Amino acid sequence: MISKIIKRTKISEWAYIVARVRVMKRKLIPRDEYAKLLNMDLNEIARYLEETEYKKEIDELAFRYSGVDLIDHALSLNLSRVYSKLIRISKGLPRDLIVLYLRKWDFWNIKNILRGKMFGFTNEEIEATLVPAGEFDEDFFKSLLAKESIEEIVNAFRGKPFYSILEKILHGSKLSDVEDELDKFYYTSIAGLSAESLDAKYFIDFIRMEIDIVNMKTILRLKKEGVPAEEIIPKIVPYGYQLTEDEARKLAAMELEEIYKAIENYWFVRDLREVVMTQPMSKIENALTRIWAERMIKKASNYPLSILPVLSYMLLKKIEVDNLRIIARGKESGMEVEDIREQLVIV
Amino acid sequence: MDVQPTRMELIKLRRRIAMAKKGHALLKMKRDGLIMEFRTILEDAKRVIDEMVQRYREAQEKLALAMAADGVVAVKSIALSVDKEPSFTLKRKNIMGVVVPVIKREVVRKSVAERNYGVIGTTARIDEAVEAYEALIDAILEVAEIETTLKRLIEEIERTKRRVNALEFRVIPSMEDAARYITFKLEEMDRENIIRLKKIKGKKEKAEA
Repeated sequence: MISKIIKRTKISEWAYIVARVRVMKRKLIPRDEYAKLLNMDLNEIARYLEETEYKKEIDELAFRYSGVDLIDHALSLNLSRVYSKLIRISKGLPRDLIVLYLRKWDFWNIKNILRGKMFGFTNEEIEATLVPAGEFDEDFFKSLLAKESIEEIVNAFRGKPFYSILEKILHGSKLSDVEDELDKFYYTSIAGLSAESLDAKYFIDFIRMEIDIVNMKTILRLKKEGVPAEEIIPKIVPYGYQLTEDEARKLAAMELEEIYKAIENYWFVRDLREVVMTQPMSKIENALTRIWAERMIKKASNYPLSILPVLSYMLLKKIEVDNLRIIARGKESGMEVEDIREQLVIV
Repeated sequence: MDVQPTRMELIKLRRRIAMAKKGHALLKMKRDGLIMEFRTILEDAKRVIDEMVQRYREAQEKLALAMAADGVVAVKSIALSVDKEPSFTLKRKNIMGVVVPVIKREVVRKSVAERNYGVIGTTARIDEAVEAYEALIDAILEVAEIETTLKRLIEEIERTKRRVNALEFRVIPSMEDAARYITFKLEEMDRENIIRLKKIKGKKEKAEA
Protein backbone atom coordinates (compact mmCIF):
# COMPACT_ATOMS: atom_id res chain seq x y z
CA MET A 1 0.00 0.00 0.00
CA ILE A 2 2.86 2.38 0.80
CA SER A 3 4.38 1.99 -2.64
CA LYS A 4 1.02 2.67 -4.23
CA ILE A 5 0.31 5.81 -2.26
CA ILE A 6 3.38 7.58 -3.55
CA LYS A 7 2.61 6.98 -7.20
CA ARG A 8 1.46 9.87 -9.36
CA THR A 9 -1.95 9.96 -10.91
CA LYS A 10 -3.45 11.44 -14.06
CA ILE A 11 -5.67 14.51 -13.87
CA SER A 12 -8.36 12.61 -15.82
CA GLU A 13 -8.64 10.04 -13.03
CA TRP A 14 -9.44 12.81 -10.56
CA ALA A 15 -11.79 14.55 -12.98
CA TYR A 16 -13.84 11.39 -13.43
CA ILE A 17 -14.24 10.44 -9.76
CA VAL A 18 -14.81 14.06 -8.68
CA ALA A 19 -17.54 14.49 -11.32
CA ARG A 20 -19.25 11.30 -10.16
CA VAL A 21 -18.99 12.37 -6.52
CA ARG A 22 -20.39 15.80 -7.35
CA VAL A 23 -23.51 14.12 -8.75
CA MET A 24 -23.75 11.85 -5.69
CA LYS A 25 -23.35 14.84 -3.39
CA ARG A 26 -26.41 16.48 -4.95
CA LYS A 27 -28.47 13.54 -3.73
CA LEU A 28 -27.60 14.20 -0.08
CA ILE A 29 -30.52 15.47 1.98
CA PRO A 30 -30.43 19.30 1.92
CA ARG A 31 -30.07 21.01 5.29
CA ASP A 32 -33.54 22.62 5.03
CA GLU A 33 -35.16 19.18 4.82
CA TYR A 34 -34.13 18.34 8.39
CA ALA A 35 -36.77 20.75 9.72
CA LYS A 36 -39.42 18.71 7.89
CA LEU A 37 -37.98 15.39 9.02
CA LEU A 38 -37.96 16.52 12.64
CA ASN A 39 -41.71 17.05 12.52
CA MET A 40 -42.47 13.62 11.08
CA ASP A 41 -43.24 10.40 12.95
CA LEU A 42 -41.30 7.19 12.35
CA ASN A 43 -43.55 5.91 9.54
CA GLU A 44 -43.47 9.25 7.81
CA ILE A 45 -39.68 9.27 8.03
CA ALA A 46 -39.57 5.79 6.45
CA ARG A 47 -41.93 6.99 3.71
CA TYR A 48 -39.82 10.12 3.19
CA LEU A 49 -36.68 8.00 2.88
CA GLU A 50 -38.46 5.92 0.26
CA GLU A 51 -38.47 8.98 -1.94
CA THR A 52 -34.72 9.44 -1.55
CA GLU A 53 -31.56 7.46 -2.18
CA TYR A 54 -32.56 5.03 0.57
CA LYS A 55 -35.60 3.65 -1.31
CA LYS A 56 -33.85 0.53 -2.54
CA GLU A 57 -32.64 -0.46 0.93
CA ILE A 58 -35.99 0.33 2.61
CA ASP A 59 -37.85 -1.80 0.03
CA GLU A 60 -35.32 -4.59 0.34
CA LEU A 61 -35.48 -4.79 4.13
CA ALA A 62 -39.15 -3.88 4.73
CA PHE A 63 -40.23 -7.54 4.84
CA ARG A 64 -37.76 -8.31 7.63
CA TYR A 65 -37.81 -5.19 9.76
CA SER A 66 -40.12 -2.38 10.70
CA GLY A 67 -40.00 0.95 12.51
CA VAL A 68 -36.66 2.14 13.80
CA ASP A 69 -34.94 -1.18 13.05
CA LEU A 70 -35.89 -0.87 9.39
CA ILE A 71 -34.45 2.64 9.20
CA ASP A 72 -31.33 1.61 11.12
CA HIS A 73 -30.57 -1.36 8.88
CA ALA A 74 -31.44 0.51 5.68
CA LEU A 75 -29.09 3.35 6.60
CA SER A 76 -26.18 0.99 7.36
CA LEU A 77 -26.76 -0.93 4.13
CA ASN A 78 -26.99 2.24 2.07
CA LEU A 79 -23.81 3.63 3.61
CA SER A 80 -21.86 0.49 2.83
CA ARG A 81 -23.25 0.46 -0.73
CA VAL A 82 -22.28 4.09 -1.30
CA TYR A 83 -18.76 3.38 -0.11
CA SER A 84 -18.57 0.24 -2.27
CA LYS A 85 -19.78 2.28 -5.25
CA LEU A 86 -17.00 4.81 -4.70
CA ILE A 87 -14.46 2.00 -4.80
CA ARG A 88 -16.13 0.52 -7.91
CA ILE A 89 -16.22 3.72 -9.92
CA SER A 90 -12.67 4.81 -9.09
CA LYS A 91 -9.36 3.46 -10.27
CA GLY A 92 -5.67 4.06 -9.74
CA LEU A 93 -4.58 6.27 -6.89
CA PRO A 94 -8.08 7.62 -6.10
CA ARG A 95 -9.25 4.06 -5.56
CA ASP A 96 -6.27 3.18 -3.36
CA LEU A 97 -6.81 6.23 -1.20
CA ILE A 98 -10.54 5.55 -0.85
CA VAL A 99 -9.86 1.94 0.15
CA LEU A 100 -7.23 3.11 2.59
CA TYR A 101 -9.64 5.56 4.18
CA LEU A 102 -12.43 2.99 4.32
CA ARG A 103 -10.26 0.61 6.29
CA LYS A 104 -11.74 2.48 9.24
CA TRP A 105 -14.87 0.39 8.66
CA ASP A 106 -12.85 -2.84 8.73
CA PHE A 107 -11.84 -1.98 12.27
CA TRP A 108 -15.40 -0.96 13.14
CA ASN A 109 -16.60 -4.36 11.87
CA ILE A 110 -13.84 -6.32 13.61
CA LYS A 111 -14.59 -4.54 16.90
CA ASN A 112 -18.31 -5.25 16.58
CA ILE A 113 -17.75 -8.93 15.75
CA LEU A 114 -15.35 -9.44 18.67
CA ARG A 115 -17.62 -7.56 21.05
CA GLY A 116 -20.73 -9.33 19.81
CA LYS A 117 -19.14 -12.77 20.03
CA MET A 118 -17.66 -12.09 23.46
CA PHE A 119 -21.00 -11.06 24.90
CA GLY A 120 -23.14 -13.73 23.26
CA PHE A 121 -25.03 -11.73 20.63
CA THR A 122 -26.70 -13.59 17.79
CA ASN A 123 -25.02 -13.51 14.39
CA GLU A 124 -28.03 -11.62 13.05
CA GLU A 125 -27.64 -8.88 15.65
CA ILE A 126 -23.93 -8.51 14.92
CA GLU A 127 -24.49 -8.59 11.16
CA ALA A 128 -26.92 -5.69 11.45
CA THR A 129 -24.13 -3.43 12.71
CA LEU A 130 -21.59 -4.30 10.03
CA VAL A 131 -20.66 -1.87 7.28
CA PRO A 132 -18.57 -3.95 4.87
CA ALA A 133 -16.94 -1.07 3.05
CA GLY A 134 -13.21 -1.50 3.52
CA GLU A 135 -10.58 -4.01 2.47
CA PHE A 136 -12.65 -7.00 3.60
CA ASP A 137 -15.96 -7.80 1.94
CA GLU A 138 -19.30 -8.96 3.33
CA ASP A 139 -18.55 -12.65 2.72
CA PHE A 140 -15.35 -12.42 4.72
CA PHE A 141 -17.19 -10.94 7.69
CA LYS A 142 -19.92 -13.57 7.36
CA SER A 143 -17.25 -16.24 7.49
CA LEU A 144 -15.93 -14.63 10.68
CA LEU A 145 -19.41 -14.69 12.18
CA ALA A 146 -19.64 -18.40 11.42
CA LYS A 147 -16.56 -19.07 13.55
CA GLU A 148 -17.15 -20.49 16.99
CA SER A 149 -14.41 -18.94 19.12
CA ILE A 150 -12.63 -15.61 19.50
CA GLU A 151 -9.36 -17.43 18.87
CA GLU A 152 -10.53 -18.57 15.43
CA ILE A 153 -11.64 -15.04 14.57
CA VAL A 154 -8.31 -13.56 15.66
CA ASN A 155 -6.39 -16.22 13.75
CA ALA A 156 -8.24 -15.27 10.56
CA PHE A 157 -6.14 -12.09 10.58
CA ARG A 158 -2.81 -13.88 10.92
CA GLY A 159 -0.26 -12.15 8.70
CA LYS A 160 -2.04 -8.78 8.85
CA PRO A 161 -0.06 -5.90 10.41
CA PHE A 162 -2.65 -5.48 13.18
CA TYR A 163 -2.65 -9.19 14.09
CA SER A 164 -0.29 -8.52 17.02
CA ILE A 165 -2.89 -6.14 18.47
CA LEU A 166 -5.76 -8.61 18.09
CA GLU A 167 -3.63 -11.38 19.53
CA LYS A 168 -3.53 -9.51 22.83
CA ILE A 169 -7.15 -10.47 23.47
CA LEU A 170 -6.08 -14.10 23.57
CA HIS A 171 -3.46 -13.22 26.17
CA GLY A 172 -5.91 -11.57 28.51
CA SER A 173 -5.81 -7.92 27.38
CA LYS A 174 -8.95 -5.90 27.89
CA LEU A 175 -11.24 -5.41 24.90
CA SER A 176 -11.31 -1.64 25.48
CA ASP A 177 -7.51 -1.40 25.21
CA VAL A 178 -7.49 -3.54 22.08
CA GLU A 179 -10.23 -1.36 20.53
CA ASP A 180 -8.24 1.79 21.21
CA GLU A 181 -5.08 0.23 19.86
CA LEU A 182 -6.88 -0.80 16.66
CA ASP A 183 -8.13 2.75 16.18
CA LYS A 184 -4.67 4.14 16.84
CA PHE A 185 -3.22 1.63 14.40
CA TYR A 186 -5.67 2.76 11.71
CA TYR A 187 -4.75 6.42 12.06
CA THR A 188 -1.00 6.00 12.54
CA SER A 189 -0.67 3.52 9.65
CA ILE A 190 -1.97 6.21 7.29
CA ALA A 191 -0.75 9.41 8.93
CA GLY A 192 2.73 7.95 9.40
CA LEU A 193 3.22 7.52 5.66
CA SER A 194 5.50 9.96 3.89
CA ALA A 195 3.71 11.80 1.12
CA GLU A 196 5.76 11.76 -2.05
CA SER A 197 3.12 13.41 -4.21
CA LEU A 198 0.76 16.31 -3.65
CA ASP A 199 -2.28 14.04 -4.08
CA ALA A 200 -1.09 11.77 -1.29
CA LYS A 201 -0.24 14.80 0.85
CA TYR A 202 -3.83 16.07 0.65
CA PHE A 203 -5.04 12.69 1.78
CA ILE A 204 -2.56 12.32 4.63
CA ASP A 205 -3.28 15.87 5.81
CA PHE A 206 -6.99 15.00 5.85
CA ILE A 207 -6.30 12.02 8.10
CA ARG A 208 -4.00 14.11 10.30
CA MET A 209 -6.72 16.73 10.66
CA GLU A 210 -9.11 13.96 11.66
CA ILE A 211 -6.52 12.88 14.26
CA ASP A 212 -6.57 16.44 15.68
CA ILE A 213 -10.34 16.21 16.02
CA VAL A 214 -10.19 12.68 17.51
CA ASN A 215 -7.51 13.72 20.03
CA MET A 216 -9.37 16.85 21.00
CA LYS A 217 -12.57 14.86 21.54
CA THR A 218 -10.72 12.27 23.62
CA ILE A 219 -8.94 14.84 25.79
CA LEU A 220 -12.05 16.93 26.45
CA ARG A 221 -14.22 13.85 27.03
CA LEU A 222 -11.84 12.31 29.54
CA LYS A 223 -11.07 15.67 31.18
CA LYS A 224 -14.78 16.29 31.72
CA GLU A 225 -14.96 12.84 33.35
CA GLY A 226 -12.13 13.82 35.69
CA VAL A 227 -9.72 11.20 34.33
CA PRO A 228 -6.09 11.77 35.37
CA ALA A 229 -3.55 12.74 32.69
CA GLU A 230 -1.64 9.45 32.89
CA GLU A 231 -4.78 7.58 31.78
CA ILE A 232 -5.49 10.05 28.95
CA ILE A 233 -2.00 10.03 27.43
CA PRO A 234 -2.10 6.40 26.15
CA LYS A 235 -5.31 7.25 24.28
CA ILE A 236 -3.69 10.03 22.25
CA VAL A 237 -3.13 9.26 18.58
CA PRO A 238 0.22 10.53 17.23
CA TYR A 239 0.74 12.40 13.91
CA GLY A 240 -1.81 15.17 14.45
CA TYR A 241 -1.99 17.92 11.81
CA GLN A 242 -1.55 20.93 14.06
CA LEU A 243 -1.91 19.32 17.47
CA THR A 244 1.24 17.24 17.85
CA GLU A 245 1.51 14.30 20.20
CA ASP A 246 3.60 16.34 22.68
CA GLU A 247 1.11 19.20 22.64
CA ALA A 248 -1.77 16.78 23.11
CA ARG A 249 0.03 15.26 26.12
CA LYS A 250 0.49 18.73 27.61
CA LEU A 251 -3.22 19.46 27.08
CA ALA A 252 -4.09 16.21 28.85
CA ALA A 253 -2.31 17.48 31.97
CA MET A 254 -4.15 20.85 32.00
CA GLU A 255 -7.41 22.00 33.55
CA LEU A 256 -10.38 22.59 31.22
CA GLU A 257 -10.10 26.41 31.35
CA GLU A 258 -6.38 26.21 30.60
CA ILE A 259 -7.01 23.81 27.73
CA TYR A 260 -9.27 26.31 26.03
CA LYS A 261 -6.65 29.06 26.31
CA ALA A 262 -3.95 26.71 25.03
CA ILE A 263 -5.87 25.67 21.93
CA GLU A 264 -7.18 29.12 21.00
CA ASN A 265 -5.10 29.32 17.83
CA TYR A 266 -5.71 25.86 16.48
CA TRP A 267 -7.67 25.37 13.25
CA PHE A 268 -10.50 23.47 14.90
CA VAL A 269 -11.29 26.09 17.53
CA ARG A 270 -14.08 28.41 16.52
CA ASP A 271 -16.74 29.63 18.93
CA LEU A 272 -15.88 26.58 20.96
CA ARG A 273 -15.24 28.25 24.32
CA GLU A 274 -18.91 28.68 25.24
CA VAL A 275 -19.69 25.11 24.17
CA VAL A 276 -16.75 23.60 26.07
CA MET A 277 -17.57 25.38 29.30
CA THR A 278 -21.35 24.94 29.35
CA GLN A 279 -22.49 22.07 27.17
CA PRO A 280 -22.40 18.27 27.64
CA MET A 281 -19.66 16.39 25.82
CA SER A 282 -21.93 15.08 23.05
CA LYS A 283 -22.63 18.65 21.95
CA ILE A 284 -18.92 19.51 22.05
CA GLU A 285 -18.29 16.48 19.84
CA ASN A 286 -21.00 17.67 17.47
CA ALA A 287 -19.49 21.14 17.36
CA LEU A 288 -16.06 19.70 16.54
CA THR A 289 -17.53 17.44 13.84
CA ARG A 290 -19.36 20.42 12.33
CA ILE A 291 -16.18 22.53 12.30
CA TRP A 292 -14.30 19.60 10.78
CA ALA A 293 -16.89 19.04 8.03
CA GLU A 294 -17.13 22.74 7.17
CA ARG A 295 -13.38 22.99 6.98
CA MET A 296 -13.25 19.98 4.65
CA ILE A 297 -15.96 21.38 2.37
CA LYS A 298 -13.99 24.60 2.08
CA LYS A 299 -10.73 22.78 1.46
CA ALA A 300 -12.37 20.51 -1.11
CA SER A 301 -13.61 23.51 -3.08
CA ASN A 302 -10.09 24.97 -3.00
CA TYR A 303 -8.62 21.75 -4.42
CA PRO A 304 -11.34 20.47 -6.77
CA LEU A 305 -9.17 17.95 -8.60
CA SER A 306 -7.92 15.98 -5.65
CA ILE A 307 -9.09 13.34 -3.18
CA LEU A 308 -10.57 16.06 -0.96
CA PRO A 309 -13.99 16.37 -2.70
CA VAL A 310 -14.36 12.57 -2.41
CA LEU A 311 -13.35 12.53 1.24
CA SER A 312 -15.59 15.48 2.06
CA TYR A 313 -18.50 13.66 0.37
CA MET A 314 -17.77 10.52 2.43
CA LEU A 315 -17.71 12.61 5.57
CA LEU A 316 -21.00 14.33 4.69
CA LYS A 317 -22.63 11.00 3.84
CA LYS A 318 -21.62 9.59 7.23
CA ILE A 319 -22.96 12.72 8.95
CA GLU A 320 -26.26 12.38 7.03
CA VAL A 321 -26.65 8.72 8.05
CA ASP A 322 -25.85 9.59 11.68
CA ASN A 323 -28.35 12.46 11.60
CA LEU A 324 -31.12 10.26 10.18
CA ARG A 325 -30.38 7.57 12.72
CA ILE A 326 -30.49 10.10 15.57
CA ILE A 327 -33.82 11.48 14.30
CA ALA A 328 -35.30 7.97 14.03
CA ARG A 329 -34.05 6.79 17.42
CA GLY A 330 -34.94 10.13 19.02
CA LYS A 331 -38.48 9.95 17.65
CA GLU A 332 -38.84 6.38 18.85
CA SER A 333 -37.83 7.29 22.39
CA GLY A 334 -40.24 10.25 22.41
CA MET A 335 -37.64 13.02 22.47
CA GLU A 336 -38.70 16.62 21.94
CA VAL A 337 -38.03 18.04 18.46
CA GLU A 338 -35.71 20.71 19.87
CA ASP A 339 -33.68 18.13 21.81
CA ILE A 340 -33.22 16.02 18.69
CA ARG A 341 -32.27 19.08 16.64
CA GLU A 342 -29.51 19.89 19.13
CA GLN A 343 -27.99 16.46 18.56
CA LEU A 344 -27.76 16.85 14.80
CA VAL A 345 -24.74 17.99 12.85
CA ILE A 346 -26.23 20.13 10.09
CA VAL A 347 -23.59 21.37 7.68
CA MET B 1 -72.41 -7.17 83.64
CA ASP B 2 -69.47 -9.26 84.85
CA VAL B 3 -68.06 -6.93 87.55
CA GLN B 4 -68.01 -7.03 91.30
CA PRO B 5 -70.05 -4.08 92.51
CA THR B 6 -67.64 -3.11 95.22
CA ARG B 7 -66.23 0.22 96.16
CA MET B 8 -62.70 -1.11 95.58
CA GLU B 9 -63.64 -2.18 92.08
CA LEU B 10 -65.16 1.23 91.43
CA ILE B 11 -61.96 2.97 92.52
CA LYS B 12 -59.91 0.65 90.29
CA LEU B 13 -62.28 1.22 87.40
CA ARG B 14 -62.17 4.99 87.75
CA ARG B 15 -58.37 4.85 87.73
CA ARG B 16 -58.45 2.72 84.56
CA ILE B 17 -60.92 5.11 82.92
CA ALA B 18 -58.69 8.07 83.69
CA MET B 19 -55.69 6.14 82.31
CA ALA B 20 -57.61 5.09 79.17
CA LYS B 21 -58.72 8.67 78.53
CA LYS B 22 -55.16 9.89 78.86
CA GLY B 23 -53.97 7.11 76.51
CA HIS B 24 -56.77 7.96 74.11
CA ALA B 25 -55.75 11.62 74.00
CA LEU B 26 -52.09 10.64 73.45
CA LEU B 27 -52.94 8.16 70.69
CA LYS B 28 -55.14 10.75 69.03
CA MET B 29 -52.25 13.19 69.08
CA LYS B 30 -49.94 10.46 67.69
CA ARG B 31 -52.44 9.68 64.92
CA ASP B 32 -52.73 13.35 63.98
CA GLY B 33 -48.95 13.70 64.10
CA LEU B 34 -48.48 10.65 61.90
CA ILE B 35 -51.05 11.94 59.40
CA MET B 36 -49.24 15.28 59.23
CA GLU B 37 -45.91 13.49 58.74
CA PHE B 38 -47.52 11.27 56.11
CA ARG B 39 -48.78 14.31 54.19
CA THR B 40 -45.34 15.93 54.20
CA ILE B 41 -43.68 12.71 53.02
CA LEU B 42 -46.44 12.24 50.42
CA GLU B 43 -45.48 15.58 48.88
CA ASP B 44 -41.84 14.46 48.84
CA ALA B 45 -42.89 11.13 47.33
CA LYS B 46 -44.73 12.87 44.50
CA ARG B 47 -41.65 14.97 43.76
CA VAL B 48 -39.30 11.97 43.95
CA ILE B 49 -41.55 9.83 41.71
CA ASP B 50 -41.83 12.66 39.16
CA GLU B 51 -38.07 12.98 39.27
CA MET B 52 -37.66 9.24 38.70
CA VAL B 53 -40.02 9.32 35.70
CA GLN B 54 -38.09 12.29 34.32
CA ARG B 55 -34.77 10.53 34.82
CA TYR B 56 -36.11 7.39 33.19
CA ARG B 57 -37.19 9.43 30.18
CA GLU B 58 -33.79 11.10 30.02
CA ALA B 59 -32.00 7.76 30.33
CA GLN B 60 -34.11 6.32 27.50
CA GLU B 61 -33.29 9.31 25.32
CA LYS B 62 -29.57 9.10 26.05
CA LEU B 63 -29.66 5.37 25.34
CA ALA B 64 -31.41 5.98 22.01
CA LEU B 65 -28.78 8.55 21.06
CA ALA B 66 -25.93 6.24 22.09
CA MET B 67 -27.44 3.44 19.99
CA ALA B 68 -27.77 5.81 17.04
CA ALA B 69 -24.18 7.05 17.29
CA ASP B 70 -22.26 3.97 18.42
CA GLY B 71 -24.38 1.09 17.19
CA VAL B 72 -26.70 -1.28 19.00
CA VAL B 73 -24.11 -4.01 19.60
CA ALA B 74 -21.61 -1.60 21.17
CA VAL B 75 -24.21 -0.22 23.58
CA LYS B 76 -25.76 -3.58 24.43
CA SER B 77 -22.41 -5.24 24.98
CA ILE B 78 -21.35 -2.43 27.29
CA ALA B 79 -24.52 -3.04 29.30
CA LEU B 80 -23.80 -6.77 29.35
CA SER B 81 -20.21 -6.26 30.44
CA VAL B 82 -21.23 -4.61 33.71
CA ASP B 83 -20.25 -7.35 36.11
CA LYS B 84 -20.83 -5.31 39.26
CA GLU B 85 -24.33 -5.29 40.68
CA PRO B 86 -25.49 -2.09 42.33
CA SER B 87 -25.16 -2.56 46.09
CA PHE B 88 -26.56 -0.46 48.89
CA THR B 89 -26.54 -0.17 52.67
CA LEU B 90 -29.70 -0.18 54.71
CA LYS B 91 -29.97 2.00 57.82
CA ARG B 92 -32.91 2.78 60.10
CA LYS B 93 -34.61 6.02 61.03
CA ASN B 94 -37.31 6.62 63.64
CA ILE B 95 -40.37 8.73 62.82
CA MET B 96 -42.67 8.98 65.90
CA GLY B 97 -41.89 5.45 66.94
CA VAL B 98 -42.12 4.06 63.40
CA VAL B 99 -38.92 2.48 62.15
CA VAL B 100 -38.35 3.37 58.48
CA PRO B 101 -35.45 2.43 56.20
CA VAL B 102 -32.76 4.80 54.88
CA ILE B 103 -31.14 3.40 51.73
CA LYS B 104 -27.69 4.56 50.72
CA ARG B 105 -26.28 3.46 47.36
CA GLU B 106 -22.68 2.57 46.91
CA VAL B 107 -21.20 4.05 43.73
CA VAL B 108 -20.93 1.44 40.98
CA ARG B 109 -19.57 3.77 38.32
CA LYS B 110 -16.43 2.45 36.73
CA SER B 111 -13.46 4.62 35.92
CA VAL B 112 -12.50 4.93 32.26
CA ALA B 113 -9.67 2.47 32.73
CA GLU B 114 -12.09 -0.13 34.11
CA ARG B 115 -14.70 0.35 31.41
CA ASN B 116 -15.12 -2.22 28.76
CA TYR B 117 -15.16 -0.02 25.68
CA GLY B 118 -12.60 1.91 23.72
CA VAL B 119 -12.60 5.70 23.96
CA ILE B 120 -11.19 6.63 20.55
CA GLY B 121 -13.80 4.78 18.52
CA THR B 122 -16.88 5.63 20.59
CA THR B 123 -18.64 8.90 21.31
CA ALA B 124 -19.45 10.65 24.57
CA ARG B 125 -23.07 9.63 24.10
CA ILE B 126 -22.22 6.23 25.63
CA ASP B 127 -20.80 7.97 28.72
CA GLU B 128 -23.87 10.17 28.92
CA ALA B 129 -26.18 7.14 28.69
CA VAL B 130 -24.18 5.38 31.45
CA GLU B 131 -24.41 8.52 33.59
CA ALA B 132 -28.16 8.86 32.98
CA TYR B 133 -28.74 5.24 34.05
CA GLU B 134 -26.63 5.78 37.17
CA ALA B 135 -28.85 8.73 38.06
CA LEU B 136 -31.90 6.57 37.38
CA ILE B 137 -30.69 3.89 39.84
CA ASP B 138 -30.31 6.60 42.50
CA ALA B 139 -33.81 7.87 41.77
CA ILE B 140 -35.29 4.33 41.96
CA LEU B 141 -33.64 3.73 45.34
CA GLU B 142 -34.92 7.06 46.61
CA VAL B 143 -38.44 6.11 45.52
CA ALA B 144 -38.05 2.68 47.16
CA GLU B 145 -37.00 4.36 50.40
CA ILE B 146 -39.84 6.85 50.43
CA GLU B 147 -42.43 4.26 49.37
CA THR B 148 -41.43 1.92 52.20
CA THR B 149 -41.60 4.83 54.64
CA LEU B 150 -45.08 5.70 53.40
CA LYS B 151 -46.25 2.08 53.67
CA ARG B 152 -44.94 1.79 57.24
CA LEU B 153 -46.57 5.10 58.15
CA ILE B 154 -49.92 4.01 56.66
CA GLU B 155 -49.77 0.75 58.64
CA GLU B 156 -48.96 2.68 61.82
CA ILE B 157 -51.71 5.24 61.20
CA GLU B 158 -54.20 2.39 60.66
CA ARG B 159 -53.08 0.66 63.84
CA THR B 160 -53.24 3.89 65.89
CA LYS B 161 -56.63 4.71 64.40
CA ARG B 162 -57.95 1.27 65.42
CA ARG B 163 -56.61 1.77 68.95
CA VAL B 164 -58.13 5.27 69.21
CA ASN B 165 -61.49 3.99 67.96
CA ALA B 166 -61.39 0.97 70.23
CA LEU B 167 -60.67 3.19 73.24
CA GLU B 168 -63.18 5.83 72.23
CA PHE B 169 -66.09 3.64 71.22
CA ARG B 170 -65.57 0.42 73.11
CA VAL B 171 -63.11 0.31 76.01
CA ILE B 172 -63.88 3.66 77.67
CA PRO B 173 -67.71 3.46 77.20
CA SER B 174 -67.80 -0.10 78.53
CA MET B 175 -65.66 0.86 81.54
CA GLU B 176 -67.87 3.91 82.13
CA ASP B 177 -70.94 1.65 81.89
CA ALA B 178 -69.38 -0.66 84.43
CA ALA B 179 -68.55 2.28 86.70
CA ARG B 180 -72.10 3.58 86.37
CA TYR B 181 -73.43 0.08 87.13
CA ILE B 182 -71.24 -0.24 90.21
CA THR B 183 -72.24 3.24 91.41
CA PHE B 184 -75.89 2.39 90.85
CA LYS B 185 -75.46 -0.96 92.60
CA LEU B 186 -73.65 0.64 95.53
CA GLU B 187 -76.35 3.32 95.83
CA GLU B 188 -78.98 0.58 95.61
CA MET B 189 -77.19 -1.33 98.35
CA ASP B 190 -77.04 1.86 100.45
CA ARG B 191 -80.74 2.43 99.96
CA GLU B 192 -81.47 -1.22 100.85
CA ASN B 193 -79.38 -0.85 103.99
CA ILE B 194 -81.20 2.33 104.99
CA ILE B 195 -84.57 0.65 104.43
CA ARG B 196 -83.36 -2.41 106.29
CA LEU B 197 -82.16 -0.24 109.17
CA LYS B 198 -85.39 1.68 109.16
CA LYS B 199 -87.39 -1.55 109.24
CA ILE B 200 -85.27 -2.94 112.10
CA LYS B 201 -85.62 0.33 113.93
CA GLY B 202 -89.45 0.20 113.39
CA LYS B 203 -89.64 -3.39 114.62
CA LYS B 204 -87.54 -2.44 117.68
CA GLU B 205 -89.77 0.48 118.50
CA LYS B 206 -92.87 -1.68 118.09
CA ALA B 207 -91.39 -4.30 120.42
CA GLU B 208 -90.52 -1.69 123.03
CA ALA B 209 -94.02 -0.16 122.86
